[in-house]
Amino acid sequence: MGGIWIVAEKKEHALELLSIGRFLGNKMGTNLSVFSWRDQDACFDYIAHGADEVLLPTPPAADQSIDVLLPVIAGEAQMHHPDAIFFSATARCKDLAARLAARLSAGLCSNCIGLSYDEGAKNIIMERLAYGGAAIQKVACRIRPVMATIPPGTFARGDSDTGRKGQCRELPAPPTSALKIIELKKRTREIKDITEARVIVAAGRGFEKQEDLTLVRQLADRLEGEIGCTRPVSEENRWLPVELCIGLSGVQVKPDLYFGLGVSGQVQHVTGIRNARVIAAVNKDENAPIFSVADLGIVGDIYDVVPKLLQALNKG
Amino acid sequence: MPTIITCFKWVVDESYIRQGTAGELDFSVVDYRISDYDRNAIEEAMRLKAIYGGEVLALTAGVPEATKSIKDALSRGPDRAFFAVDPSFGGLEPAQTAALLAAVVKAHITPYDLILCGEGSGDLYAQQVGPRLAEHLGIPSISFVQKVDIQEGKVIAERRVEEGIEVVAATLPALVTVLPDINVPRIPGVKDTLMASKKPVLSLKKEDLPPIPEPYLQTLEMKTAKLSRACEKFGSDDAEINRFLNALRKKAAI
Ligand SMILES: Cc1cc2nc3c(=O)[nH]c(=O)nc-3n(C[C@H](O)[C@H](O)[C@H](O)COP(=O)(O)OP(=O)(O)OC[C@H]3O[C@@H](n4cnc5c(N)ncnc54)[C@H](O)[C@@H]3O)c2cc1C
Repeated sequence: MGGIWIVAEKKEHALELLSIGRFLGNKMGTNLSVFSWRDQDACFDYIAHGADEVLLPTPPAADQSIDVLLPVIAGEAQMHHPDAIFFSATARCKDLAARLAARLSAGLCSNCIGLSYDEGAKNIIMERLAYGGAAIQKVACRIRPVMATIPPGTFARGDSDTGRKGQCRELPAPPTSALKIIELKKRTREIKDITEARVIVAAGRGFEKQEDLTLVRQLADRLEGEIGCTRPVSEENRWLPVELCIGLSGVQVKPDLYFGLGVSGQVQHVTGIRNARVIAAVNKDENAPIFSVADLGIVGDIYDVVPKLLQALNKG
Repeated sequence: MPTIITCFKWVVDESYIRQGTAGELDFSVVDYRISDYDRNAIEEAMRLKAIYGGEVLALTAGVPEATKSIKDALSRGPDRAFFAVDPSFGGLEPAQTAALLAAVVKAHITPYDLILCGEGSGDLYAQQVGPRLAEHLGIPSISFVQKVDIQEGKVIAERRVEEGIEVVAATLPALVTVLPDINVPRIPGVKDTLMASKKPVLSLKKEDLPPIPEPYLQTLEMKTAKLSRACEKFGSDDAEINRFLNALRKKAAI
């Protein structure tokens, strides 16, 4: 009975959650289980990474959405009363977690970025951003199961111990899904990961048209860095791919230099750059909020300043 | 002709939140607004109505001060509004909000075809109310949608997932949460605001609604996470550009 459960779409995310799950499980003296429906052969790896039990739902057919797992996980939870259920915060799993929480009449901490255990209060403590990233909130849940969705990359995966023992258990086949997948249009281009970039030049809505982003490209190339952007640039204008969006709904970055061009510096964006060592910015509005979070800022027009920067860099 | 419900939340405009001396949040000068992505949900409902006809109903739960939000929402096009209102309906958890909205839908807006919500709210960004509401109503939900259409009693939606775009279909009634790039929300004009005052609003008090659960989560700590770095400002002439680049070099950033 009890236990900590992990639900993740991808093996790499499951391994990260197993590492924090094992840590909490040891403190709480409870078992660790992981649901695996895509990689039926990942059992051994999961056990080596800390799982005591791997639960194997029948993999959904190609036209079935993962919401078919809802009754399966809910059924297990009603039978075994887990202490906690942690989901990887991918699009489908966030949806699944919220529906499961509603079905189990449970709380859910979304986009949890820190987990610890208070041994005195016997409580799992969860950390999350609030007000677009303007605040950090610590919460505990008053009832079980404690539930959270955790962004991929929040915890590092642990070491594997191939001598560990555990068991695998097949779960009953799920009913058919209310959602029918008509098509999965897979992204064909390679996904760029800027989370480890040393220098990031970020484009904001200060640029008037997509072609003008060559200025950003040139500066990034000159500084041997990568390009990032604000959400309106990737999602509203669709000028850059979504994985380059930095912030609350995008990625967290930690470069030596973040250089924002025509970025206003709203909190939802800035929360993604708080771990940058140096923050620099160019904005024509001297009162733009980006200047209160930057180390160095040029008050000026990007169309005037960026060519000058390139010229000076090429000279010096 | 479809009945479309569009849910919205009245949130603190987070750019007004100040940092108190002890790192606490200072809400003394804040303003409120309809959460950004809920405006996309309202706009999408109006877009579908323009094609298929029917009726658009705006739905929210909140404190009496949020009455302002009703007029704002109605000025964006919906025909009627439903407002679960009580002084205790502030700072609700997603579980509580979803329970309230579900109660209003069940008692007052059934039957309906489609419910639209924003992807996440500007304050909590928990991204839970949509799917939780769907669960309470026992209908399918599709989150993170960038394109939506209604065809032969079904909703067809393109949802953004990690691997790309998943095109899914569900039988109506269903719930969809929308991404900000699905449309560009209108900016209401004076005429829209005037018309909004004449539209019917059904307010439901706590006594008119079934009890909602106690909050599940207990806040142990809330601290500002504002970055504040002493910004050195530079001008844009050549001398200043060089001074700026030297400062970057000194910090070993380039
Ligand atoms: C729930 C939620 C989640 C969000 N998540 C994210 C997120 O993850 N990432 C993100 O980035 N945003 C996010 N946002 C959006 C965020 O609130 C801001 O709207 C966004 O970051 C602003 O982008 P921007 O700075 O490019 O555009 P704007 O705010 O429009 O700023 C453009 C800036 O460019 C300057 N400018 C214009 N022309 C020039 C010029 N010629 N030269 C110099 N400067 C110029 C202007 O002075 C202005 O400051 C989120 C919002 C919500 C509600």
